[in-house]
Amino acid sequence: MSILTVEFLAFAACTLLLYYLMPLKVRWLVLVCASAVFVCLSGWYSAAHLTAVALVMWGGGLLLQKKKSRLLLAFLLVLDLGAMVFLKYYPAFSGADLILPLRLSYFTFQSAGYLIDVYRGKAEARKNPLEAWLFIGYFPQLAQGPISTWKELGPQLRTGHRLDPDSFVSGFQQLLWGYFKKLVIADRLASVTTALLKGGDLPGWFVLGGVILYAIRLYLDFSGGMDVVRGFSRMAGIELPENFRRPFFSQSVAEYWRRWHITLGAWFRSYLLYPLTTSKAGIGLGKAASKAFGKKTGRMVPSALATMLVFLLIGIWHTANWNAVVFGTYFGIVMAASMLLDPVWKSMRNTLNLPKDGWMKPFRLVRTWILTLIAQYFAFTAGPGQGLSLMAQTVQPWSFAGFAEQMTGVMELTEWIIAAAGCVIVLVVDILCEKKIDVCGGLAKTHFWIRWPVLLALILVIVVFGVYGSGYDGAAFLYTQF
Amino acid sequence: MKENGAVSGKKRAGFLVRLVCFAVIAVLLLVYANFVLTPKHDYGICSMMNLYRQPDDSVDVLTVGSSLAYAGVNTNVLWEEFGIASYNLCSAEQPFWVSYYTIKEALKTQHPKIILLDAKAATYTRDYSKRGRTILSTFGIRGIGNRIGAIMACVEKPQDAVSYILGLPEVHSNYKKLTAEDFTFPPDNGGRGETWKGYIESDVTEHHDRPSVVWNTVKRNINDREEEYARKIFEMARDEGITIMLVGFPNPDYANDHMYYNSLWAIAAEYGITGINYNDPKMRFGLRFSTDFADWQHLNVKGSITFTRKLGEDLKELFDLPDRRGDDYYASYDICAGIWAEKYADFASASVEKQPLDWFPPPPGKLPEDFIPEEFYPEPPEEMWPELPEEPADA
Repeated sequence: MSILTVEFLAFAACTLLLYYLMPLKVRWLVLVCASAVFVCLSGWYSAAHLTAVALVMWGGGLLLQKKKSRLLLAFLLVLDLGAMVFLKYYPAFSGADLILPLRLSYFTFQSAGYLIDVYRGKAEARKNPLEAWLFIGYFPQLAQGPISTWKELGPQLRTGHRLDPDSFVSGFQQLLWGYFKKLVIADRLASVTTALLKGGDLPGWFVLGGVILYAIRLYLDFSGGMDVVRGFSRMAGIELPENFRRPFFSQSVAEYWRRWHITLGAWFRSYLLYPLTTSKAGIGLGKAASKAFGKKTGRMVPSALATMLVFLLIGIWHTANWNAVVFGTYFGIVMAASMLLDPVWKSMRNTLNLPKDGWMKPFRLVRTWILTLIAQYFAFTAGPGQGLSLMAQTVQPWSFAGFAEQMTGVMELTEWIIAAAGCVIVLVVDILCEKKIDVCGGLAKTHFWIRWPVLLALILVIVVFGVYGSGYDGAAFLYTQF
Repeated sequence: MKENGAVSGKKRAGFLVRLVCFAVIAVLLLVYANFVLTPKHDYGICSMMNLYRQPDDSVDVLTVGSSLAYAGVNTNVLWEEFGIASYNLCSAEQPFWVSYYTIKEALKTQHPKIILLDAKAATYTRDYSKRGRTILSTFGIRGIGNRIGAIMACVEKPQDAVSYILGLPEVHSNYKKLTAEDFTFPPDNGGRGETWKGYIESDVTEHHDRPSVVWNTVKRNINDREEEYARKIFEMARDEGITIMLVGFPNPDYANDHMYYNSLWAIAAEYGITGINYNDPKMRFGLRFSTDFADWQHLNVKGSITFTRKLGEDLKELFDLPDRRGDDYYASYDICAGIWAEKYADFASASVEKQPLDWFPPPPGKLPEDFIPEEFYPEPPEEMWPELPEEPADA
């Protein structure tokens, strides 16, 4: 059930109603039941796999709590992650047609994180298997993410929440905002990507514009979906971790990845990057590199290598194809280079007496945009060849002859105007949020005669200008395949 | 987030009241948006919407069916020449499952003496309605029960009905076509006033050399769902004490329909229902295939006048229908006929003379070079449409 369907809205509303009607102590069971229905509706295979993973996680957690065995942890992780790797990547190599359980990699990562946390003593193993099941099967999270840790989500799910008007209003606003981003803008921009993928003799400005719009679409699509599930959860008093923090305002690629798909980055950082760099091998490598390249650069070598590995895995996590390898390797190299060359940049800045702020800020912003846009060429194309071909087209001499025809060939002028207006609204809100002005909170605190018209207008805009309904595949979230 | 219990019960109760108020306003807003965005086509949606604006129990003859019916039954001729108060409650390609629910809805405010049921739906082979036709035939129905019933009958899978029932998922993209009239309530019926009685004129002419006519007793099984709902209509009419008359509308491209009509007539006979098939080659009432059709199956203005005169005569002969002319309660019919007469002065029924009872008076200058009048207007000999054996029931 996609979160874009009326069925989901009705389902979520009924769940919320039941949740608040039931006694406080059993409210979490409403979430269990609703999640069970949600998972079952997406297929018995998903339900069976998720339950199997939950059982491994529950049983494994109890065993790990009893005896902190590294071998046992390794066995459980191989079992957990191995099933995901097999289901996700075996078809890519063998051509076999396996059914992928709903949000396989999300709940697998979450369960693996739980096991590691129990092993590390950061989480207490749950005795009730239903609690373990709900942690990975909580339906809004299954619909779109994020990847939460037990500490972030588990206790909140188990606690019965009373209706809190402020949280409810704030959650509702976030939910509407998510639908606005996804339905009104992101899905409207889908035709641009289609036009790009069609290929042909496209002018350079069109390709570049299309890639920029793809990046915007991807952000609005994914973050819009996140806003919907976070908004719904907040209405039930549950705070899901933030997954996007206006990544297009980043000053560096590293910052971009700290703002983009935050929970995925955090998972890799916490469960892979840090263990690698702080392992004996990592420390030894650091010492050896320090001798070879000097202390400053040398100690960054283990981190740089681990970062490259992490980004390669992040790329492959997205999908099992060569584009993902190029995507991950590219970001890995950029990140590693920025780490290793950091001392050089610093001395250059000092030598040239470059300011830390001022004009350097927009410069760094544009630089980050360019570096991330290069990766986008490999995010939506069929293979590295097509990505490179589009890059080559971008740098061809630009001709604006037939500009209007080219644009209206993608979508009508009215649609462009709606998409542009939507982007401007999101940009203004994001700028305000960057300036630490809480737009959502501010709106929630205003008088109802201001808030209600704004919310009603937002509802109307989504319902009228949203791209949905007949002939539209409501399940087409860009990130649903993961 | 506040700690559990930090919000007082009074504040929570106040919030719930505000929440309900907001929800009500939002729903009203969306209902209005749905109304605005619904296309106001006269050929379906508006003929239903406008029925609600007719005075209660002011329709004696209700015509239900497809475009053949709304283009064929000229309500103004029935009024002016026979004093029959009639209304066309039709939509393009209307199947019997839609007819059933529209009749049910109409009976909430009207109790017609006669329902003229277009037989055309018997020829439809689809099990369910296409998207556009579903919108056209159900979005004008105001009664929730009948609207949902009609939609459920139109769609193959129950889950597909949700977006039609809500309306907006199907019509929201019409924002590009909105005009100021779309915002006004009640709607202007696709440019027509509230006195309009559902007749939709086609003011063009398509010349037909000869109709494709077949006349025999062979039956072809009609679609199961069409039959199911035809039977429901017959049963409903029986329960309501309303007479149903099947009508086979004149149609130049009739041959394919004939065997389905035979089946429908046979089914109707089980309920004691009969009708008139105006495609009967022996039935001459002056309709000209050369000048009286707008296209391959719809009567044009002139054709509708000729056809409706015959229909009016038959209705008067077969049923005891009152002449409502001069009755103030039926003043809207005078207004409708007045508007019609003004718009189509050349075709005002009084000025169209009764035509000779031949089929194909050739239009001057349009004759083929090898035209032989005797061959062109054959008196239909019996052997031309031989009686064929009955088609096996399971065919």
